[in-house]
Amino acid sequence: MTDTLSYPDVTQWAVPFFILAILGEFAWIAIKGRGGRYETRDAVTSLIMGAGSVASGIVLGFLAWGFFKWLWVLTPLDLGTSLAAIIICFVLDDLRYYWVHRFGHRIRWVWASHVNHHSSQHYNLTTALRQTWTGTFSLVMLIRAPLVLIGFHPALVLFVSGINLIYQFWIHTEAIGKMPRWFEAVMNTPSHHRVHHGRNARYLDCNYAGVFIIWDKMFGTFVPEQDSEAVDYGLVHNLGSFNPLRVAFHEWVGIWKDASQSGLTLRQRLAYMVAPPGYSHDGSRDTSQTLKEKHLARHPEDAGTPGFN
Amino acid sequence: MPLEILLALVIGGIGVVTLLLHVTGRSERADLSDDTAGLAWLRQFPEDDIHQVLISQDGHAALLRTSQGMGLVWAFGADTVARPLADCTLKNTATGLRVSFHEFAAPTTRLILTETERANWRLLMKPA
Ligand SMILES: [Zn+2]
Ligand SMILES: [Zn+2]
Repeated sequence: MTDTLSYPDVTQWAVPFFILAILGEFAWIAIKGRGGRYETRDAVTSLIMGAGSVASGIVLGFLAWGFFKWLWVLTPLDLGTSLAAIIICFVLDDLRYYWVHRFGHRIRWVWASHVNHHSSQHYNLTTALRQTWTGTFSLVMLIRAPLVLIGFHPALVLFVSGINLIYQFWIHTEAIGKMPRWFEAVMNTPSHHRVHHGRNARYLDCNYAGVFIIWDKMFGTFVPEQDSEAVDYGLVHNLGSFNPLRVAFHEWVGIWKDASQSGLTLRQRLAYMVAPPGYSHDGSRDTSQTLKEKHLARHPEDAGTPGFN
Repeated sequence: MPLEILLALVIGGIGVVTLLLHVTGRSERADLSDDTAGLAWLRQFPEDDIHQVLISQDGHAALLRTSQGMGLVWAFGADTVARPLADCTLKNTATGLRVSFHEFAAPTTRLILTETERANWRLLMKPA
């Protein structure tokens, strides 16, 4: 395969569509009087985070790109660009996304980059664009390495993950209740992803899927949206600032403050960087696990129900 | 996509959405009552008991006496944020009070308080 293979930068070309869809969703909510909420500063912050994410991709993208090109030179394998290859690459990349996203919620170093996607207390199409500025530092691009090494061209790998990201745009809405049953069974949907954005104890650490929800079902992290429990959007510890710089960097600052405090062992410092979010050396904070335990202590009747088993 | 066009689309798009939301009243801040302020606190600190709630006259902030001490709930756009007041610093402003939390993700909030309200709140927030 030629080294000059290029695909359109799909996320950039999708920008006009994103804007039109946001206006459409807003109009729908305004006319129907239901199906979601919009708030000015929240939406503006989300949009600026989205713009900044594209900008950081333009500025820092060459690092990941250089890494992939290096792998591409190393590998003797080339699976080509047939339709079958593109489809297989897309599915495997979605599996890659599942694990990156799961690490994003279970390893604080990766969470520091991903947290801002969850920092809004709203859930509408602008929330989809609240994307990280610091993905390069989280080093999760390493997880794409196997795809390139088994013979998918770096340009193809980036192309399919661009499509993956665009797919995830439309599921950030409350305007759609449930999709047809077969679709909910296989695909990630607004209903499944609303749950993922929940700060309710029941909904913590589940539904990591990008496009196909089957990965969550396979790996035991699927929790269906419950009619009996509305999703409370946002972070366990909600932010008190709309400032995009604070939104983008707050967890990195938190890691630094925690890991650099005096009197810790090396092991504790490392744990502040890579243990699950909420780790503390003195047990003074809550992880998703202790939050679930405390919830069950208050509501024993929830034991064994989805999200609590 | 050419950078100039991308830039124009992004700036134009953000501008249009901002304007549209603002003129259709989506910039209104949450109004608190005793009940909603209490719920907002429990949403952040579900283990706590709430003993007393005091709503500011403008309706956008609430002072709470809870089982973990004094706390503040304030309107954050259409939503709320809740924080304990244990480590905060207070500073008078022309329109009320600025509360600093020494937290990167929630640095300060400005409360709109009347003259007497401010004196009263300061006493409750920082019992001498
Ligand atoms: Zn997530
Ligand atoms: Zn999301």
